[in-house]
Amino acid sequence: MKQRTLREKKLKKRIIVVSLLALLIILMTTFAGVIAPNDPYTTSASSIRMAPGAQYPFGTDNLGRCVFSRVLYGGRTTIAATFLLVFISFSIGTVIGMLCGYYGGILDQLLMRLADIMLAFPQMVVAIAVAGILNAGMSGAMVALGITMWVSFARLSRSHTFSIKKEAYIQAAFFAGKSDFYIIMVHVFPNLLAPVLTNALTQIGTTMIGLSGLSFLGLGVVPPKAEWGSMISEAKAYIQIAPWAVLFPALATIITIIVFNYLGDVVMDYMEV
Amino acid sequence: MVLLEGKNLNKCFNDKIGYTNALQDVSFTLSKGEVLGIVGESGSGKSTLLRVISGMIPPSSGSLYFKGEEYTGKKPRQTGEFLQVIFQNAKSSFDPRMTMEKAILENGRGKKDKDEILRLLELVGLEERQLSRRAGELSGGQCQRMSIARAFYSNAEILLCDEITSALDVSTQARVVELLQRLKSDGKLSAVFISHDIALVSMICDRIMVMKDGRCVEQGSTDEVIGNPKDEYTRLLIDSVKRQAI
Amino acid sequence: MAECLLDIKKLCTSYDESMVLKEIDLSVYKGEVLCIVGESGSGKSTLIKAICEDKSVRVNEGSVMFKGSHCGHKLLGSSIGLVQQNPEGAFNPLRSFDVQFAETLKSHKREPDKEKLAAIFSTLGLKDTDKLLKMRPYELSGGMNQRMAIAASLLLNPELLLCDEITSALDVSTAIAVVDELLRLRREFGVTIVFVTHNLGIAANIADRVAIMYQGKIVEIGDAKDVLTNPKHEYTKGLLRDVPRLKAM
Repeated sequence: MKQRTLREKKLKKRIIVVSLLALLIILMTTFAGVIAPNDPYTTSASSIRMAPGAQYPFGTDNLGRCVFSRVLYGGRTTIAATFLLVFISFSIGTVIGMLCGYYGGILDQLLMRLADIMLAFPQMVVAIAVAGILNAGMSGAMVALGITMWVSFARLSRSHTFSIKKEAYIQAAFFAGKSDFYIIMVHVFPNLLAPVLTNALTQIGTTMIGLSGLSFLGLGVVPPKAEWGSMISEAKAYIQIAPWAVLFPALATIITIIVFNYLGDVVMDYMEV
Repeated sequence: MVLLEGKNLNKCFNDKIGYTNALQDVSFTLSKGEVLGIVGESGSGKSTLLRVISGMIPPSSGSLYFKGEEYTGKKPRQTGEFLQVIFQNAKSSFDPRMTMEKAILENGRGKKDKDEILRLLELVGLEERQLSRRAGELSGGQCQRMSIARAFYSNAEILLCDEITSALDVSTQARVVELLQRLKSDGKLSAVFISHDIALVSMICDRIMVMKDGRCVEQGSTDEVIGNPKDEYTRLLIDSVKRQAI
Repeated sequence: MAECLLDIKKLCTSYDESMVLKEIDLSVYKGEVLCIVGESGSGKSTLIKAICEDKSVRVNEGSVMFKGSHCGHKLLGSSIGLVQQNPEGAFNPLRSFDVQFAETLKSHKREPDKEKLAAIFSTLGLKDTDKLLKMRPYELSGGMNQRMAIAASLLLNPELLLCDEITSALDVSTAIAVVDELLRLRREFGVTIVFVTHNLGIAANIADRVAIMYQGKIVEIGDAKDVLTNPKHEYTKGLLRDVPRLKAM
């Protein structure tokens, strides 16, 4: 008992610290307009590839744009797109999973085989192919990643729905004359929310890598718009002259992904205790 | 008045292992204010019978009547209007995220009557403060009382009790049995009581049906069956219990 | 009084934070059947675990001595046999019994003894020894598996057999048969039995002495007849009152 609660307390503390960090990152990018010292899109011939200093904390790039401001604005694009994508896949996947798990039958067989097919391809390869065909900037990249992402949510919520459906309280709800819709919304959904949300948290990191990766390859955002992946891609040409232009967006990506992945991990550990 | 009647019920399961006759030609009646006990060991088909009566699974053949009206093939959503099941594991028959009050209200088919809930709580020996608890915060015995209160709130006339005390301790079981005996003497209980324990059944039920391998081997009033068992298997059951008597 | 086989003195144990056993004093004498009766949470299973020196139970105080020496893993199996509630857990469900029996003997460096096995089987009322040994656990019913588990624990000639709720997963008529066979085993092999159960009826049937446990303490211990017909402790009285009885008996 004691050991368990001790471990629980420790994990709780960690969750608080990590989620504060995550919150800090989100707030900094959301309020990029207030924090950023310079306009991220203003080019300036007089300040090309300047080293980090007082006016440009992270230096400037090939066109004289402030790297710090661009990292903040770019973060906004990446993080907002990631959250939107995870939320949409979560919603679609969970609804499909619950319907499959609850009703079973042919619908279930069909959708789950479809999911199997999706899983058979490596996620990034599908994403590159789809994003290349769509050629529609950030929304194209999101669709490309979303095509395979809903599968994990669907499978998870399906298996949970399956076991919840066997519980006696679902039978009791039948005897209370409740409709399928009521049972799914009131009894099934709240009881599978916790594990599926945890999965969503762990997906944030991978999705970020995916989106930045597509942008890096030129399949995500269209250049003047700031985005970490595309910033790295642009600046890699002159990495020896102005390493800061690559370093800072790369660092921002790494730190953000570590924070969100770690958050997912601790929350998952906490759920298991 | 006959509340519930089953005629020549059969149930076959056809699964990977093969063809199993879980229920063979079982008939029964339940009158108002009466408690019918169904006794059998594991695999006797008593739980299948309960699932058939309640509508959770349809019988392969045979028919079911409530007050003379046939309801064979109806699903729990419809049968729930006149019968309620009390499950073996009371805790898992409540949504772990739902307060007891909500769970009871859920069974009212739209009815919202707090006074009635309080009356029912008093009837089953619980307190008002327990309404705000969730299943995990109550003991097994308390949950079982709650599920009896919930069943009564639905205005259903019949309770189907599936091994409701077998997960409980001896002393908790005795309290639940006392509750059922009290409800019965008040004339509030018409129930089918399923158990593997013939002694327990004899304490609550007016009539007893003994089941073995999906068949009803003996049926009659409690005094008859206990005092003068006709079937070999019934005698074996009674002897086993007598051997365990102190 | 006969030789004292198992001697428990002032035993206090805990799981992490909560105290589970409080100052248990208990002696088991050679050749007797001692029943430990209690409801869930009374600590009866913890007591068995403490005797087996299970690692999840922490002994804070007191000692468990088997014939004057500390007992533990070394004795478990050879001098002390343990049969648990779910017989399925004792065997690998997919391997035949003879292989599993042979492995048990091998791990204790004993030679297989066909005659002994046949004697155990016949006492347990198991016929067709060879055929049974070729079978696998999943092919047998719960009662048969429980008998096999008892046979397996008797293979090594233990002096003490610990039975933890072995009849509670069985049907009433099967439970009675298993109890009968246990009593026969004691007569023929002279094994001492500690039988843990929540069922007072079974205890009345099998025990020489009964110990009633409640909230981690032994509240009453004594001759089975005395305890069950003339209980002294309030808890025992309540327990006896609550046992379901056949009507009209």
